[in-house]
Amino acid sequence: MSGHSNWPEWVYIGVVVALLVWVGAEAWNVERIIEHIPEEAKVIKVTGQQWFWTFEHEDGTKEIGELHVKKGIPYKFEITSTDVIHSFNIHDYVVLMDAVPGRINTVWFLPFDEGEYPIQCREYCGLIHYNMRGTLYVEDDA
Amino acid sequence: MRKIIGLYIVLLTLVIIPTIEYAFSAGDEPSEYIDRRALIWNLFFRMMTVAFVVGAVVSGTLIWLIFRFRESNPKAKPTKYEGTGGLDQ
Repeated sequence: MSGHSNWPEWVYIGVVVALLVWVGAEAWNVERIIEHIPEEAKVIKVTGQQWFWTFEHEDGTKEIGELHVKKGIPYKFEITSTDVIHSFNIHDYVVLMDAVPGRINTVWFLPFDEGEYPIQCREYCGLIHYNMRGTLYVEDDA
Repeated sequence: MRKIIGLYIVLLTLVIIPTIEYAFSAGDEPSEYIDRRALIWNLFFRMMTVAFVVGAVVSGTLIWLIFRFRESNPKAKPTKYEGTGGLDQ
């Protein structure tokens, strides 16, 4: 069609592309920062199995169903499973990572508020999945 | 076309290049403690803001378009094809 101007379409395409780039860059960057594990982070081995969580600290002490950590110290969770796929979740600290048999997934967090926080499996893993819970105890380091 | 290229250059300068630079430069320092709770929820709220703004603009444009170009609008003008049978050919 002669005399037809299509510049609004190009403006629209430009704005959409710019928005998509911005959204993608922001999300990618936040993920990148979050996955940057501090070198001094203490390792806690987390094992999921039907239907409870086992935690092993660096000094070899083990806990079942509850996890005690110190405030202000970064921790790196090495998460795996012995049977089916589970998902390790500490909702209040936005920690969520799948526990997969034969694979170790890592996620780190920094507890900074004393208190008790629920731990919950977030991947349906069988009959008692709903009750595959634990408790995180954040204690003062002093 | 020149205007469009100019617009892209402005967009590139103002938005895209700073965003990429910011993305590549942040979070490089070791032992940098972050509050993942704040970061993740802030990202979520920013993304929700973008999603709702885009949704409002798109649906608003559609509503305006439908309202403005409805047949019963007093300002509506018939296209040059209407009544000529041109559309049927």
